[in-house]
Amino acid sequence: MPTELPYAADAEVSLSYDELEVLRLQYQRELSQSHVTTQTKFNYAWGLVKSPIREHQVEGVRLLQEIYRAEPTRRRECLYYLALGYYKFGNYEEARRFNSLLMDKEPSNMQAQSLASLIDQRVTREGYIGMALAGGVAAIGTILLASLIRRAARK
Amino acid sequence: MTPRIINAATVSGKPRASVGGSSRRMDFATLGRAPMQLTLGRRRITSRDLQVVEAAEELLSEEVPEPDGVAQNVSLLRGFNATIPSADKSRARRRQTRNVDTPRLGLKRLGMGARGMLGDEEDHEGESVASEEDMVMIGNTVGRGRKSKAKRRGRESLSAGKTFGKEELVRQTQEIERDKENIHVRRALMNNEIAEITHKIETLDAMRAKLEQDLLKLQEDELELDDELEGVRERLELETSRTRGAHADHAIQSSRRRKGPTFLPSEHDELPPGVAFMTLESHTTPITALDFSEPYGTLVTASQEDSQPRVWDLLTGEEIGRLRGHQGTVKCMQVEEQVCVTGSEDGTVRLWDLRRVDEDEDWEGETFSLSDVAEEDESHDGGESHTNGIRSASSQPSSVAEREGPCVRLLEGHTKTVSALYFEDECLVTGASDKTMRQWDLNTGQCVMTMDILWAISHPPASAPGSALPNHLFTGAAAAAGSFAVPMPPYADGSWDMYQDFVGAVQFWGYALVSGSGDGAVRMWDMRTGQPHRTLLGHTAPVSCLQFDELHVVSGSLDKSIRIWDLRTGGIFETLKYDHAVTALQFDTRKIVAATGENGVKIYNRTSMQHSSLLTNGHTKPVERLRYMDRYLVSGARDSTVKVWAL
Repeated sequence: MPTELPYAADAEVSLSYDELEVLRLQYQRELSQSHVTTQTKFNYAWGLVKSPIREHQVEGVRLLQEIYRAEPTRRRECLYYLALGYYKFGNYEEARRFNSLLMDKEPSNMQAQSLASLIDQRVTREGYIGMALAGGVAAIGTILLASLIRRAARK
Repeated sequence: MTPRIINAATVSGKPRASVGGSSRRMDFATLGRAPMQLTLGRRRITSRDLQVVEAAEELLSEEVPEPDGVAQNVSLLRGFNATIPSADKSRARRRQTRNVDTPRLGLKRLGMGARGMLGDEEDHEGESVASEEDMVMIGNTVGRGRKSKAKRRGRESLSAGKTFGKEELVRQTQEIERDKENIHVRRALMNNEIAEITHKIETLDAMRAKLEQDLLKLQEDELELDDELEGVRERLELETSRTRGAHADHAIQSSRRRKGPTFLPSEHDELPPGVAFMTLESHTTPITALDFSEPYGTLVTASQEDSQPRVWDLLTGEEIGRLRGHQGTVKCMQVEEQVCVTGSEDGTVRLWDLRRVDEDEDWEGETFSLSDVAEEDESHDGGESHTNGIRSASSQPSSVAEREGPCVRLLEGHTKTVSALYFEDECLVTGASDKTMRQWDLNTGQCVMTMDILWAISHPPASAPGSALPNHLFTGAAAAAGSFAVPMPPYADGSWDMYQDFVGAVQFWGYALVSGSGDGAVRMWDMRTGQPHRTLLGHTAPVSCLQFDELHVVSGSLDKSIRIWDLRTGGIFETLKYDHAVTALQFDTRKIVAATGENGVKIYNRTSMQHSSLLTNGHTKPVERLRYMDRYLVSGARDSTVKVWAL
């Protein structure tokens, strides 16, 4: 049975502050009773990952990692959420690795495929930026060198 | 130029590499990210980031199993959608659609007034926030109608005049369906949680039970150490007194009261516990009495229809010799170092020196007694030949001077079977089926006192007013009548005998004597006066064995029970029930070892209150007699064998 997963676009929609606060309180309360259910932890982690603040995203990924470590049965879903988390704050390498692990297990998963293509897009976009940057730096360097040579030649 | 580019690249690459992950590949993608990092990456790199990053590596290498159980049924996302607070929004919304806009009724103030509380003067609590289109407005007709015609027209119900519209209703059904699914999801999650928690509780309970057991074990160890301490202290006293040249012949405390561990050969530790490692077969009839001087020392056993107890060397398991002299079955005996005292059916008590048993073996002297014939080499009993009749008709106690042979002394006085005896130092107490108990001085061989149990039964000691009358098994008259014989309850193999020992067991310490008799009573006597001062009633059948220490009296009886009494108050601590009659027992602070009519020797652990049974390589017929010292146990059974166990 394919795992039910949200599309990456869902991760861009963040919860309201109040909702996140409620989830946080729920998590804290269970923490103080030293028995945290997986669902509560996930709720809070997912709420954090959806938020635009980078610290939240990192914290969310950390909680997801804890779930991953603790619950072997939930690992497959966590692969996706972890990949999403990494994708959001820019670690495309990790994102790609987690996502590819998931796709090994479920090649027909739509969300995983879409996430893979999103990651690729971002990576190539940054590649273009990098190329543009390198090109620009090269161009400036050439100009400077040329001016130096000209100056030297003029002298 | 190129160095500059490379420099720029590396400079831009560094902040990224430390944060961005393990990859060190310098490609355009990483370059492209550089400006973003430099401009926006002003924030500090926290330990969180590093943690997250480092953990990724480790996690990727872990196995990802198939999801099953609740993970398969309810994905995390479903659970999320079911449990976040906004899941309940639709319900709230629907409730609002049913809100009817009425003129302010002041319900809250009404309610609080009814409860006797002062209401707020503030009447305008915020009305719940809802979207405008959800509020259904009832026309003001209701209000106006009331004002105009209050009496006649009944007030319309709140829901009159309200329409939702088809779309709204369809939407509501869908929402309700979704909410129901959510509830289903939440139920599955909660059931899973409950199962997990139950499992955890069970594990913790198991741990707690184990710890409690360990606690009991500690208690047992402590009791053992206490005993050891006493034993060591005694030894200390003994050795210091010896070095001071005091009487070396002051015997060490009787083996029956000695508490600490005994001397055992080192090989004894290697023996598996609870297994009989030696079997002595020589008797042909059920064993009736046994005792030994020390582990791996000298053992003396007696059996039915055999008037000659056999003497064994426990180191080798070989029979050393026999004690000749008695005319009837030996019913009771006690061995202390080299002294052995036996009481038999012929009514006499004999004192033997076990060192002399070896001497006898080659003796080829004449025999004077009527018993054994000269076919065997050993002979010569202690010389109660012509000079004294085997049994003097008079009841005067007499003794025989020392003759050669193992029998040192003969004590006569009882008229019937001597069924129980106990001696310590120079004092011996015997109980016989003539319903009396006699105290003897072993140095002179004289009977010092006779205690009449019959008299004690018919004249019970003055009981405290208000206590229940003692409920005797036999009234005085019945007890006096004739010989005492009670059918025993059958053993495990179905066999049974007539139990004829009126005095089942005796033990004394100083002046305090405790006896167990055929009327089921355990009596405590003062040997200075010869009067019983307390009777412990509880058994409903003859008492067959007993032992006491500083705190408890433990008695076993034919009523299939063992009772533990408080020595000082006479109250019952515990009653242990068994399936057959109890014929022998011995106890210490930690355990009670009993022969209860089965093939296995029963051991009751007093700290953990557990019963166990010694069966490995055990007897084939019910065990009747036993004796143990420290970790060495000797048992005799109806199968005529004697087995030695390592405890």
